[in-house]
Amino acid sequence: MDDTLMDRLRAAASRFGPLSLFLIPTLAIYLYFAIYPTLSVIGFSMTKWNGISPDKTWVGFDNYTKMFSDRIFWEAFQNTFVWSAVIVVINVGLGLVIAALLSRVWRARLILQTLIVLPVVISPMAVATIWRWMLQPKGVINETLSGIGLDALTRPWLGDPDVVLFALAFAHSWSTIGLSVIIFLAGLQSVDEDLYDAAKIDGATTLQAFRYVTVPALRPVTAVVFILTLTTAFKAFDLIWATTKGGPIRFSEILSTYMYKRGALENQYGYGSAIGVALLVIVSLATLIYLRLQTRPEDR
Amino acid sequence: MAARYLVFGVLALIAFLMTAPSAMTLFTALKPPEELIRPAWTPPTAITFENFGRVWTDGGFRRYFLNTVLISTVDAIVMIVLASMTAYAMVFMSFRGKLALQVLFVVGLMIPVTAIILPLYTTVRSLGLINTHLGVIFADLALAMPVFVFMFSSYFVSIPKALHEAARVDGATELQIYRRVVMPISIPAIITTGLLEFMWSWNDLLLRLVLLPRDGMRTLSVGLLNFQGVQTRDVAGISAGAVIMAIPVILLFLFFQRHFVRGMTAGAVK
Repeated sequence: MDDTLMDRLRAAASRFGPLSLFLIPTLAIYLYFAIYPTLSVIGFSMTKWNGISPDKTWVGFDNYTKMFSDRIFWEAFQNTFVWSAVIVVINVGLGLVIAALLSRVWRARLILQTLIVLPVVISPMAVATIWRWMLQPKGVINETLSGIGLDALTRPWLGDPDVVLFALAFAHSWSTIGLSVIIFLAGLQSVDEDLYDAAKIDGATTLQAFRYVTVPALRPVTAVVFILTLTTAFKAFDLIWATTKGGPIRFSEILSTYMYKRGALENQYGYGSAIGVALLVIVSLATLIYLRLQTRPEDR
Repeated sequence: MAARYLVFGVLALIAFLMTAPSAMTLFTALKPPEELIRPAWTPPTAITFENFGRVWTDGGFRRYFLNTVLISTVDAIVMIVLASMTAYAMVFMSFRGKLALQVLFVVGLMIPVTAIILPLYTTVRSLGLINTHLGVIFADLALAMPVFVFMFSSYFVSIPKALHEAARVDGATELQIYRRVVMPISIPAIITTGLLEFMWSWNDLLLRLVLLPRDGMRTLSVGLLNFQGVQTRDVAGISAGAVIMAIPVILLFLFFQRHFVRGMTAGAVK
């Protein structure tokens, strides 16, 4: 046996062996189940295919042309933005206020914080169950409203075209605002205490200190929460699917539910994938901004 | 002083409103049929576990629960192993193409599951893994991998390079250093990864809805969705189902709150 060959093999094994041991299992799974489907969705979007038959026809950009002139797509597009905007306003605005209040409380702070953050870990499916039940015509929301004399406000929340999207956005915010609170709290800890002392000496009220010290100091954190909330809202599916399935009619249809209906339920894989690509582009751009925001403080 | 009480009062009210939906669901799940006509915010006077028993056996939740435990546990354990090994290679080993690999994982951070669910279905189908837990596990691992690779990397970066060097000089192989030196001091990252991956896996609906059409393989999320659609009048049963689904992660959260909070702020991107 050629000794040098064996030595060389052994050297190669000891050089690449450990590395491949550490990387290959992960890469195999990651490339096959994440990267490949991502490339495929772009490929699919240029075909006409029912998802099963071998007969997959290349149609170029036809699906995109169709998508851009599809009234329902634009309705879903618009709904996605309205839904996301409501959620962002609540999670950023109210999230900041709750975090600021929490940071000023010492007694029972952990209990209060735990109760406020707890819904974050509840599955969207369970959240859907809870809110579907509370928002039904004879549900606890309407009962409470009539109980305090606000009968005029009662309505079938999930059946009313004008409010369904807002009611669901509210439910989504209930279950996600805890995350904003946590991130804002972490940000508040890094605000320089001296700034508050200086503001106090200058005679600023608590509210003024919040407006002129806290809010500007938290601007970078706010940007992070903003983008994070936005991307989470854009890619939401579970909550809406488990409550209204996009209804009544299409009043709570967002891009993800529309894509699922067209692609998975009606077997229009090509067209569904084109909608998927639209979703991919929007979410990727938002995440890219988020990543830049998050890494910037370390670069300095 | 008055301001301090006001702040506390406002927070107590917010905390009450945030808790009320879950509390009322729990109340409803514990109520016997004759108490269901009373308002939802009243606690049950006579507690019954009959609703839980009904969905557990007749509703099939026993099966859904076991399926979910299986998938989530395997997900969490395998994720800890794979993500930490990958991060180890990226931090402690030198090789060509490291930057490209990093970029590849950053790309993964930007991919929403929702957008690629159709090709993911055909990919899993091409391996004959539809209706198998293995298919779901592979998809879960692949889609969340970047988050945890970066989580472990940022933890490993803080480990002194000298520690690794010293072990090398002593003649330890990379695998030995990984197992005996690096992993034992990375317990916080391990716990956070395990908890977050377990929770994400436990809570997901879309992937399971698409990849597990057969009833026997279903998880709690799909089981609850289906139960809610079929047994529309069984309010107490549906509530019990939601409670069964929520309780395990709530307990985990209460026990490991610190780890969860750290992980959710760090891995918030998913």
